[in-house]
Amino acid sequence: MDIGLQLTTEKTGLKIDPRTKIMILITVGIIMMSGKLTGVEYILRIICTFVPFVLLLSVRQFKSAFGYLFILLCVELCEGFIVPKTQGVLNLVIMIICGIISRFGPSYLCGWYVVKSTSVSEFVTAMDKMYFPKVITIPMSVMFRYFPTLKEEYSSIHDAMKMRGIGKTVKNPFVYIEYILVPIMMSTVQIANDLSAASLTKGLGAHKKRTHICDVRMKVFDVMLIVVLIAMLVIFFIF
Amino acid sequence: MQKKFEIKDLITVGVFTALYFVLTFIVACLGFIPIFMAIMPLIAPILVGIPLMLYFSKVKHFGMVLITSVIIAILMFVTGHPYPIFIFCIGAGLLTELVLFLGKYESIKACVIGSSTFSLWILGMTIAFFFSFRESYFASLVDGYGQEYVDKMMSYTPTWMFFAMIAMCLVGGLLGGLLGAGVLKKHFKKAGMV
Amino acid sequence: MIEFKDVTFKYNITDAEGNKKDAVGVKDLNLKINDGEFVVLTGFSGCGKTTIIRLLNGLIPKFYNGELTGEIYIDGKNTMDMTIYDVSEKVGSVFQNPRSQFFNVNTTDEIAFSAENQCIDPEIIKSKIIDTAYSMHIKSLLDRNIFDLSGGEKQMVACAGIDVLSPTIIVLDEPSSNLDHRAIRRLKNILEEWKKQGKTIVIAEHRLFFLKDLADRMIVMEKGEIIKDLNKEEISLLKYKECEDLGLRALSLEDVPIENDSGSKQNYPNDRLEFKDFFFSYKDKKHSVSVPDLSVPCNDVIAIIGHNGAGKSTLVRNICGLEKRNKGSIVYKGKKLSNSERLRNCYMIMQDVNHQLFTESVLDEVMLSMTDRKTDKEEKEAKAKEILDKLSLSDYCDVHPMALSGGQKQRTAIASGIVSGKPIIIFDEPTSGLDLNHMYRVADLIKELKRIGKTVLIITHDYEFILKCCDYVIHMDNGVVTDSYRIDNTSIDRLKKFIEI
Repeated sequence: MDIGLQLTTEKTGLKIDPRTKIMILITVGIIMMSGKLTGVEYILRIICTFVPFVLLLSVRQFKSAFGYLFILLCVELCEGFIVPKTQGVLNLVIMIICGIISRFGPSYLCGWYVVKSTSVSEFVTAMDKMYFPKVITIPMSVMFRYFPTLKEEYSSIHDAMKMRGIGKTVKNPFVYIEYILVPIMMSTVQIANDLSAASLTKGLGAHKKRTHICDVRMKVFDVMLIVVLIAMLVIFFIF
Repeated sequence: MQKKFEIKDLITVGVFTALYFVLTFIVACLGFIPIFMAIMPLIAPILVGIPLMLYFSKVKHFGMVLITSVIIAILMFVTGHPYPIFIFCIGAGLLTELVLFLGKYESIKACVIGSSTFSLWILGMTIAFFFSFRESYFASLVDGYGQEYVDKMMSYTPTWMFFAMIAMCLVGGLLGGLLGAGVLKKHFKKAGMV
Repeated sequence: MIEFKDVTFKYNITDAEGNKKDAVGVKDLNLKINDGEFVVLTGFSGCGKTTIIRLLNGLIPKFYNGELTGEIYIDGKNTMDMTIYDVSEKVGSVFQNPRSQFFNVNTTDEIAFSAENQCIDPEIIKSKIIDTAYSMHIKSLLDRNIFDLSGGEKQMVACAGIDVLSPTIIVLDEPSSNLDHRAIRRLKNILEEWKKQGKTIVIAEHRLFFLKDLADRMIVMEKGEIIKDLNKEEISLLKYKECEDLGLRALSLEDVPIENDSGSKQNYPNDRLEFKDFFFSYKDKKHSVSVPDLSVPCNDVIAIIGHNGAGKSTLVRNICGLEKRNKGSIVYKGKKLSNSERLRNCYMIMQDVNHQLFTESVLDEVMLSMTDRKTDKEEKEAKAKEILDKLSLSDYCDVHPMALSGGQKQRTAIASGIVSGKPIIIFDEPTSGLDLNHMYRVADLIKELKRIGKTVLIITHDYEFILKCCDYVIHMDNGVVTDSYRIDNTSIDRLKKFIEI
């Protein structure tokens, strides 16, 4: 049979194994969180700051990549020019915001990259390969599957409220939240029930290890990346 | 009290963790505005306490809450929060498991207290800010104000802030739990779903 | 071969006060199903057909608690000795509601799911998926986000998953409930293919017309017992009246008579609902609705029909005022309605009624819609109780809406609609999954709404229901109104053509 049919589209851009991505997150997180502003650590911090930019470019997320760069630039300008000129509370607030963005921005953006470039099945397959226990992987799969449903439920309930004129006549915020949350919670219980029944009939819950059609493999590039990342960590801890 | 994990339990963990996470995320986004960031540990648990109570009413054995806390930790880590988040999440999870266990999984009071203890994971999000940020901020102050002043500031701020945040989490969680218990009684018990 | 020996099952249900209620699923059931047989289970809601499905796929007693006596054998093995996992290797299941039966977000992952759980080699799974894609003609459905699919497409994906695993027994629980006629045709093709492959098929259904040629046996149940077991010949001899007496929907849609009220005198025959140069498009610009010129009578019960994705829901949402970015005008009884006026004039009974029930008692729910500040509380209560009485819900005034049955919830929503005083009432698929008698009840309710002067619009796929209570039809395709006519003996052919009878 001619397999001219692609079963799953290859995600555009550079493909990195999910496990390597986790390594990137760990490395960038450690270095950015406790790195000082001097010496070798400073150089490593600068490298880490640009890592998410490169990663986002590699998967063609141009808007996020350049947006990130732009914000970084603004923060640098702030710290350099505006801060010395302000006093008191304003000074404190600006310093806090700039500090947070420059220190935690790279980690967050790396996270954004991971979310945008990994499909649910890749993620779950990688977790299985890392021998994460079933009690973690199954709830996580269910969770990803439930997010879009939540959105649909909320939309529908919101429409019903609009249609019935609730929301405009309600002054108490708690009652408003009750009107939205209670139907959502009820449907959560119902869906948990239906989903369990359906999954059981599809054979979920075997004691043997299930197979995956999603192909998650470490390639040469992944190994190289991991070596570089470990080297960065080693340098970080020694100096 | 069942000892084994059934598929139904795992799926319950999955959907409720999803709901909890989404609600927390929505409130956390509000927290980007600096004013709200300070009281976020108080507001978030109040809101998410409601579905949390429903979730606890479905927890009948050890481990489900712990899994939820681990998953939240993983999600937070993958979206960029640094590693201390794991310690706080798992810690809060274990503490909550203990509380629920002592209530024999049937006491509403235990669930309310559990809501309080579970909220402690939020500390993991904000604590990282405080500790690491403090260092570099004060390092830059040394030149301007002198080492003595900086030392005094460093010793003064953290403990006070730290305890304030713990208090906010616990109080917020307690309020959320009470709200949740009210909603459970009003709707879910009446509808026969508990 | 499947064999039930003296099987009795009672569900354990606890009601709101915590008291145990017994609900009988099946009673003293003795049934043999041979390999390759195509068996249709039918009867009133609650007759026990779903219970049999659950007994076959292992959900009873492992998932649904209750007391089970008797024995069930699948291919000689007692199901009590098997885990659900073992059973799932032999029995594939398709459920009624496509929304809550899939585990994955990506269609290809979902199709592979059952096979992956049985630990089949990935390469084999992949090649089987390709085979299924060709044989079921669903290449375009691979590697898509399940949430973007229509109900019919979702059911195709569910069936594809079973096709890949290829178990010997396939059970289906009201799979056609949410499907339009085109999707039902595709389902019928899949069932035909499976029958050719020699699979044993057990299908619980209300909508019987598409099963007439396929069924080897039809078993009619009532209160947990089998009251009729018909073979192929007897099925083909069943007339419309006999089906109706048994409480079954028509086996052949040709025979359904027109029983609506369009002959009766109209109060205001000249009141119209008009669309002029109406246009709406979603942000993705792919789906839009365009009605340049349409005028329908206000006093008729209007059915809106069309295949999934034709734009019916979109049009209705616009009439309701839920969508804002539209152009052109909608004129009701001579008055042009702005978006907010549309919201104030329309009340919609949604397909999932759970989304529009907000309070903790039926009475509160109805009173929630009474937003008139001039009347005081006692008057409101009295009026609400009056309406609830008419809809046979008086005994349920203090019950939580979520504790009601599906039909009762629907009536609660209708009651809220009536007291709101809004003149236009819209129904979205009100008869999904309903048996004959419940469908008749809804039809009567709708005729009553017409009598008190409401304009009723109904989105529906249900041919029998349309003939029972609808007077006028709007036919949509690809976002455009392609036809609109009153239903009578001459125009019925246009309707039949759409249903492809």
